[in-house]
Amino acid sequence: MKLLSILFLQATPMEAVFFGSGKAWVVLAVGATILLGLVGWIWRAQIRLKELEQRMKSMDAEQTKP
Amino acid sequence: MKDRVALVASGALLLYVIAMTALVPLGPGLIALEPVEATPLQRFEVVGLGTHFAGQTTQTRVFVGQPGAVWEWRVLEARDNSRLLVEAVWPEKLKSKSLDVFVYHPTDGTLLLENALHVDHLPVDAATAFPPLSQPIPSGDGLGLHFPFQPQIFESIRNLLWHVPMWFTMFLLAGIGFVASIRQLGSNRLLPADGQAEAASRVALFFGLLGLITGSIWARFTWGTWWVDDPQLNGALVTVLVYGGYSVLRASLEDAMLRARLASAYNLFAFVILVILLLILPRFSESLHPGKGGNPGFNAYDLDSTLRLVFYPAVVGWGLLGWVLYRLGLRMDLVTRWMESLDPPLDPGPSTTPNSPLP
Amino acid sequence: MNGRRRHGVAVLLLHTFRTELRKAHGWMGLGLFALSSVYAAYRSVGPRAEAGTWNALVWLVLMFSAFNALARPLADDVREVRQYHMHLLRPQDWIVARTLYHGILLTALACCVWVAFAVFMGTTHFEGTRFFWMLLGMVVTAWSLAGAITLLSALAARAGAGFGLTAVLGIPLVVPILLLSARFGQAVISGLGAAEKWESLLFLGTFGGGAAAMGFVLFPYLWRE
Repeated sequence: MKLLSILFLQATPMEAVFFGSGKAWVVLAVGATILLGLVGWIWRAQIRLKELEQRMKSMDAEQTKP
Repeated sequence: MKDRVALVASGALLLYVIAMTALVPLGPGLIALEPVEATPLQRFEVVGLGTHFAGQTTQTRVFVGQPGAVWEWRVLEARDNSRLLVEAVWPEKLKSKSLDVFVYHPTDGTLLLENALHVDHLPVDAATAFPPLSQPIPSGDGLGLHFPFQPQIFESIRNLLWHVPMWFTMFLLAGIGFVASIRQLGSNRLLPADGQAEAASRVALFFGLLGLITGSIWARFTWGTWWVDDPQLNGALVTVLVYGGYSVLRASLEDAMLRARLASAYNLFAFVILVILLLILPRFSESLHPGKGGNPGFNAYDLDSTLRLVFYPAVVGWGLLGWVLYRLGLRMDLVTRWMESLDPPLDPGPSTTPNSPLP
Repeated sequence: MNGRRRHGVAVLLLHTFRTELRKAHGWMGLGLFALSSVYAAYRSVGPRAEAGTWNALVWLVLMFSAFNALARPLADDVREVRQYHMHLLRPQDWIVARTLYHGILLTALACCVWVAFAVFMGTTHFEGTRFFWMLLGMVVTAWSLAGAITLLSALAARAGAGFGLTAVLGIPLVVPILLLSARFGQAVISGLGAAEKWESLLFLGTFGGGAAAMGFVLFPYLWRE
């Protein structure tokens, strides 16, 4: 919190409400959770896609073998 | 590999954007210039929001007028952090009936309130020459990182980091779809470009919807309603509907080549509509929406260095996310089509493996 | 060379009218739909309708009747006839003729709606010649709709999906046209100057013309089998 008051000036009363009660941090935590969840889901989707694409390539290679 | 890099980069940038959106405070600003009841033309109160008038009052200075024709008023005392009592000084003639107020405070920097006061008691002569100030209005503040204060917008300026980049991403993906559609239309065979156009337009539609939703929320906070009859907003709605129509058109056609041809023609049509309604028409019409017609608009925000620090990364971050989703959609479509084309076809229906990302 | 090009459009246009007139029940249906809509409006609000309501109703009725007309598949929208036309005509001629057909049809429809409104809903909101301005606006709207939607209806007919698809694809384009028309109607009723009215009409015409031009450019690509 000290670092925060060095970095950012608590200018308006609304900031005091948000920071004082810790709500700003909740907003950040919720947003970060959603974002990281989405990124994680896409990451795993990319892995599965790569596996399927490998299978696709190998099956095509088999079929084109004389 | 590149897809993974794009995903990580997008995630990192958007994490930064979320953090800054939540944590950076709003800077101080002026709300009103109120006459003191007992002495209507002599004493006024400058009302601020988030200001620090209580300290360093001796170094606080107040100026009134229009740009280029400004004179100073006397600061009497600071009633509290938000209220500054000032004594008016009047010249013989005014350049205009509408006056702006500038307040310089060592901590808050230079604050401006446009059209703060309307006066009738002095004659107006537009050609009046005003002597320049002995020293220019000082600038510079003692604040840390903060977002700029804009009247009517206040805290909701944070939406700038979501709403605007989402529309930029939509344009980007619509452009990708446009180029792919041109390639497809110019050929007699079914090209991969058709799949690219489909995936790109789908993600463009998604970001368009997000843009409309964030815009509507922003409207609620600044204008009081969820929607206004405005050329920019109507154009945005029509554009999103047109891209929705693209998906409907594709869904209603069975034959792959016919679908590719009709869909690519429609996509060209849709993109031209987008350009006309969202990039050309707004410049010529009066609009509540910033950036066109009479508003100082988008450029006023962009000048602020703190906002720039978050806005440019936000544009890149959201754009990369759009690209990642496009690539994901494209690859999923390809794999799904391959699975369906096998003999016997692999049904890419509800998956049997517990954590498969495919629906 | 010029003579031959005009010849193609004129022949096709005449042919389309002739074939459609043979199935008179199609046009009767259109007219009946428009008339019954106006009658329904009359029964619900009647001549007591306020200016705003009157304005809204006239454009709604026009819009729905226009869609009815535009989305209806024509006798020529069969695969065999299309292939025959493909060998005979240039695609530009075809789309121009089709657009002209729609334009003329919708103009006739707009006139009918205008007369019906005069009879049922009354012209109390209009002083002097203003009601004729309304007719002008309706005709310009009709042509704008024809220009904007003809390509889409041709696309939908090609896809074999007809009415529903034309509506889905057409609605996003109809929204701005409707807005402009409603604004024009409001201007006529409030008695605004000729300059504003011409400006609105210009916008309407430009939008429809622009969409038609795009259709003209894109249509040859749909022409191939």
